Amino acid sequence: MTCWTRRQFSCLAGAMCIGALRPQAARGQAKARIIVIGGGVGGATAAKYLALGSEALHVTLVEPKARYTTCFFSNLYLAGLRSLESLTHGYETLAQRYGVNVVHDAVTAIDPLAKNVSLEGGAQLSYDRVVLAPGIAFRAGVIDGYDDAAMQIMPHAWTAGPQTELLRQQLESMADGGVFVLVAPPDPFRCPPGPYERASLIAYYFKQYKPRAKILILDAKDSFFAQDVFEDGWNRHYPGMIEWLPGQFTGGIRAVDVKGRLIKTAADTFKADVANVIPAQEAGRLAQQTRLVDQSGWCPIDPMTFESKLQPGIHVIGDAAKAGNMAKSAFASNSQAKVCAFAILAALTGSERFAPHLFNTCFTLLAADDAVTSAISYNADPETIKVNDFFLSKVGDNAEARREAVREADGWYAAFTHDIFG
Amino acid sequence: MPGGSTAVSATAGHRQSALSLHQIVALLMVASLLVSVAKRSFAADNDQGAQLAATCAACHRLDGHDRGIPSIVGLSEEQFVTVMRAFKSGERSGPIMRTMARSLSNEEIATLARYFAARGKETQRR
Repeated sequence: MTCWTRRQFSCLAGAMCIGALRPQAARGQAKARIIVIGGGVGGATAAKYLALGSEALHVTLVEPKARYTTCFFSNLYLAGLRSLESLTHGYETLAQRYGVNVVHDAVTAIDPLAKNVSLEGGAQLSYDRVVLAPGIAFRAGVIDGYDDAAMQIMPHAWTAGPQTELLRQQLESMADGGVFVLVAPPDPFRCPPGPYERASLIAYYFKQYKPRAKILILDAKDSFFAQDVFEDGWNRHYPGMIEWLPGQFTGGIRAVDVKGRLIKTAADTFKADVANVIPAQEAGRLAQQTRLVDQSGWCPIDPMTFESKLQPGIHVIGDAAKAGNMAKSAFASNSQAKVCAFAILAALTGSERFAPHLFNTCFTLLAADDAVTSAISYNADPETIKVNDFFLSKVGDNAEARREAVREADGWYAAFTHDIFG
Repeated sequence: MPGGSTAVSATAGHRQSALSLHQIVALLMVASLLVSVAKRSFAADNDQGAQLAATCAACHRLDGHDRGIPSIVGLSEEQFVTVMRAFKSGERSGPIMRTMARSLSNEEIATLARYFAARGKETQRR
């Protein structure tokens, strides 16, 4: 029993179903065609809510992979606290329960003038609206030598799946007393607490199995999200294990030498036993190719609808969108997808529009029994999206509150992935 | 067609087969009259309720499961409003819910309360 929007409400009594048939469907008009590109959190959420919202839309979701592994909580897999399988989800429910036409193929081009999308398999799909959720790409040439081949030696593990498995295997193979180097990216990037949660949870793994190991974070930035909360957690749980070097100390990360497992900064060269390089980011390649990005490398959008400011008829949601002060996170993508879906429904089916609600929540683990939370509500206006209200856990929270947050995090993952894929 | 709706339609089909044609026609006329009067405000409220509830669905499962995060479906209107006001004022602790409650107007809280109460009754009927 999970159907709970307008469709079901209009069918509360059998007889009312007849009176409540949508005019578009009753007159047999052609359905408006929506193509959602990208089956991550943003894309899958948008496809589900569009399909739920009206039978007058024909919703197609194009995603090459049969199953999606969530980047959020993948640090728990690295720590040995969750299996990768438990973080992996399919699209069957979207297709079977909500009637989304799921196409497992890759988009090679979007033509905004002809309003069609070309697939690698050769098909061409016409659209009335596109929702593009392309995620992130890595900026080329920022770290010399860090190319596709290098990623197989020094994984980024910033899209979850084989990269995450590779990093876990390397950590398992590393000798006790080895050095794990994590290269943290400049702003803005996917999941602001992510690199530091990763360092925390890899320290959690080392503490149990390789207690003499060290973790070195080479940062492009001079400060990071919730820094005092992380540093307090590192001191309490892993004293002396994690060292963080800011950008002003390193002078920036310049190059890697995969053969020697060396990382070169402006000032020095560091030798790693295992290296995790998270490079500078920008909007996913399809967004670049479709000229949806501005000079920042991200996609400017209308905050009320997430329609591109550069290409009408194409909405961009998730990490690729330039959404004012919104963090790039799975929660934010899910929130944006709903605002975008309701705006498209209003434009194409005449449903009423209400003030958009944008929100972000993060659960971040410092250890298996210590999680911190943050919550941010945002105000959207036609110009930008600004923080309305903000909460973040503090140094000195009581231990039971932190343990309770771990339990909440577990329940949240189940509910959140159900909201997207279930 | 989503599973939930299909189940309701099937039940309605059984009921109709036990009625005479005249009874069905009369029922439909009454129903369509009721619908035409009530539909506009009812649907509008439901649309806003459904859209606001979508925000809640990112953390609270709306199908009765409540592992880790409490279920909110089935709270009475009064219970829902009381709890949300307590979060809003800070009388009840819970920073995520406080941030959420403070982002909603009193009218939006009332709309959500009606939405979840109706959903709770609907779930009980099954």
